[in-house]
Amino acid sequence: MDKKEGEELLPKLLQEQENNGWISERALKAISKQINIPISRVYGVATFYSHLHLKKQGQYIIEICNSPSCYLNGSMDIIKVIEKELKIKSGETTVDGKFSLHIGSCIGCCDKAPAMLINKKVYGNLTKGKILEVLKECRS
Amino acid sequence: MQILKESSMMAFNKTVEKGPKWVIDTLKNKGLTGRGGAGFPTGTKWEMVFNEKETEKYVVCNADEGEPGTFKDRMIIEKNPKTLIEGIMIACHVITAKKAFIYLRGEYECLKENLQKTIDEVNTSDIEIQIFQGAGAYVCGDETAILRSIEGYRGHPSLKPPFPTVQGLFEKPTIINNVETLTNVPLALMMDDWDPKLKLFSLSGKVKHPGVYELKEGTPLSKLIKLGDGEPKAIHFGCFGGCLAYEQFKDIPLTPEEVLKADCFLGSCAVIVTDKKTSIIDVATNIAKFYEFESCGKCTPCREGTMRVLAILENIAMGQANSADIDTLLELAIVIRDTSFCGLGQTATNHVINAIKYFREEFEERLCKSE
Repeated sequence: MDKKEGEELLPKLLQEQENNGWISERALKAISKQINIPISRVYGVATFYSHLHLKKQGQYIIEICNSPSCYLNGSMDIIKVIEKELKIKSGETTVDGKFSLHIGSCIGCCDKAPAMLINKKVYGNLTKGKILEVLKECRS
Repeated sequence: MQILKESSMMAFNKTVEKGPKWVIDTLKNKGLTGRGGAGFPTGTKWEMVFNEKETEKYVVCNADEGEPGTFKDRMIIEKNPKTLIEGIMIACHVITAKKAFIYLRGEYECLKENLQKTIDEVNTSDIEIQIFQGAGAYVCGDETAILRSIEGYRGHPSLKPPFPTVQGLFEKPTIINNVETLTNVPLALMMDDWDPKLKLFSLSGKVKHPGVYELKEGTPLSKLIKLGDGEPKAIHFGCFGGCLAYEQFKDIPLTPEEVLKADCFLGSCAVIVTDKKTSIIDVATNIAKFYEFESCGKCTPCREGTMRVLAILENIAMGQANSADIDTLLELAIVIRDTSFCGLGQTATNHVINAIKYFREEFEERLCKSE
């Protein structure tokens, strides 16, 4: 079946996010031209979703869940450990460009709380030790 | 578990043989209702789309399971994707749709590969089933917001009517069903002993054994809590469903009607346990943060209101509020509930209203001491 106008926009933005780790202004313009959708609408959609980043991101995008199930199981402690270890707050990227941190909404892993995603891979039942180990693995 | 049984294409083959009317009647007679939260009768929804004269129609599977504390659809996609795909194929066949979308939430990207493999393996018909990946927006669980998201707009909800059954995706009649609903379709069609009352409950929070439990609708809350082994002070039905005091309501049968009597919504059957050590104010503040972040910004009561609710709750949590602030919070919460545009805003403050109703002393204890 033929694709409808607009149907390709979000998949293209996600593709760009995956290929480059973020979506530049240039990429937004290119997508706008390619599928013939005004740049204003492309920008509107790109800024609507929390997984699309218009700022350069680190090699590893960490998304920590802070919704009730994780919160009740100590997600705030997990966030503190990561913030201290990486020396960044939510929304920031480390100076060496390795990590970006985002505190976000439920990732559907409430049975493994507290949980986080690193580049969309799930890490559940987190403890301080487990986090430090995972970060070490990413660094090496 | 009933939901993990397979029909191995028998239901689809029988659909092709017996035709759309048989499917619609069987689903109606067996009493399958939507499992996304609203509980609309599935057979009736399909009949509405079936009766539309339009030749171009769509099926959308809502796999944007964004409600905090809900993870039953993830389990189905992991463990029984074949039956889900068969359900989608049956829906397409009934309304003669040539294309179906599975709107998979961005957080579930890790399930995509296996799901695609299952589609390639199971779908031998000429129906096109496309996985459409979301990118992280809670409001896209709303059926109209999902449609806007696929069409390449910001995922804002839109006004009903027209309902998606009349004017849905690309303004064509569309069936939108949740993962659990569609997976139940082949089972309801094939199994003589299929039970419409068996539902999936996602249990999480402060319990020793969190997980998905399949229970009969009407099971007492205390039985679910016993299975998970917890000692609750309060229960939240996801974020949107509101909270209740466990001691007072531990024998409440888990049906939408009974839970509604306690001013809560059972919705997608998420049960989050708060233990006695945790302050209800801290949980409320956490949920308020969630709504402040996820409000899509379309309507003023939700966009501005969720922000103010959070600000007042943070004040209370820090011990800087006075008793008038509790009343202001309650009034604001009620206004947001009554005036917001879509279900997100209308339910965003349930938890606050109930927390004040059931745990007012806790709020009062935290007030500014110098008052």
